[in-house]
Amino acid sequence: MAKPDALGQFEQLVMTAILTLRDEAYGVTIHAKTEELARPKNVSLGAVYVTLDRLEDKGLVASWLSDPTPERGGRRKRYYRLEALGERALQDSAITAKRIWEGIAEIWGKEWAKEWGKRWGKEAG
Amino acid sequence: MPAPPRSLETLAGMFIPPASREVVVGDLHERCLLRPGTPWACRGLPQYVADVVMTVPLVILSRIRRTTDFQVLLMEAFVLYLSFWGAARFMDAAFLDNRLGFLRLAIPAATTLLALMLEDAYAMPGRRWPLKAIRAPVFGLGIAVLSQWMLPVSNPELTLPRWILWCGAGTGLLLVAAVRMLFPPPADRPQGAPSDASQNGPAFWMQQASEPVSLAPGALRLMKGAGMLAAAVLVGALAVYQPMFRPQVLVLAAVLAAVVVAVYQVRRWR
Repeated sequence: MAKPDALGQFEQLVMTAILTLRDEAYGVTIHAKTEELARPKNVSLGAVYVTLDRLEDKGLVASWLSDPTPERGGRRKRYYRLEALGERALQDSAITAKRIWEGIAEIWGKEWAKEWGKRWGKEAG
Repeated sequence: MPAPPRSLETLAGMFIPPASREVVVGDLHERCLLRPGTPWACRGLPQYVADVVMTVPLVILSRIRRTTDFQVLLMEAFVLYLSFWGAARFMDAAFLDNRLGFLRLAIPAATTLLALMLEDAYAMPGRRWPLKAIRAPVFGLGIAVLSQWMLPVSNPELTLPRWILWCGAGTGLLLVAAVRMLFPPPADRPQGAPSDASQNGPAFWMQQASEPVSLAPGALRLMKGAGMLAAAVLVGALAVYQPMFRPQVLVLAAVLAAVVVAVYQVRRWR
């Protein structure tokens, strides 16, 4: 089985957006979700397109065109979904991120980890 | 918020490569309708224009990255410069002694390369045309010749003499077309279907709309071999009639060409 390439941070954000959006992952929604995940940073739509193209060339995501819709002036949407290779790459990234988190928590203490856990909980809530 | 003006969308669409045009214009249109705020007449238009200005250049660059093979581009740069240099060497050797001679030779070559990259990026995806390998060099060198006619307006010192320009462009056309036949642009390369569901197929922009020209691998190899042989005969004939093509130069050129082809093949197979 092919080994997936390591993902950059922005690639991880875009792929997480595609994963969470499920069947509704296309340019506008992916951009909105990525911006939400990357807050407080702003994300440009162009950067999302560039990343989607790159991910598709790496074989991590696949795309297809929908039927034309009136809210887009009769134009089609390009939907995206994660490929098996992309899911594996995202899993690897999540495992690495968890290791980083555990390493930091080990040095800076459990109180620090709890405080940040609470902050994230509030943001998510 | 009302939809953006149709004329503005058409204008924005003209700059976006056809492969992404419908999707990008549609996304920008939808974002415009979704965005909450003041009516379109007050803030909508500037926001739409800002979105277009921020998005379109990145879409173009991404498309250029997808449709350009930089190793082949390097080969094209080499053969283009060689064409203009050869034309100058044989038509007017004194031109090369000029202070700006070598820079002046690089201008049409660089313009052609830029036009070739844009031609590939703006080509319709999936459309095959038997003379596609010729069309891009004709377009690129046409732009280079036109730019030479416009250059005197800004700086006449940088233009090439007419005969060097035409001879260089003619030779460049043949050589770039040959390079493109041997190494087609990424979007035109034959695609294999995935052997099972677990493998990824080619990306959408690489999928061919019509049946590719079917050539047996042996026939393709034979054609490539014949092309190489013709090039070797041409260089050999020049070596006989031109004293500048000494054996040492020929050996060096052959070694260089072999290294370029070997590196390209190794990268391709990996």
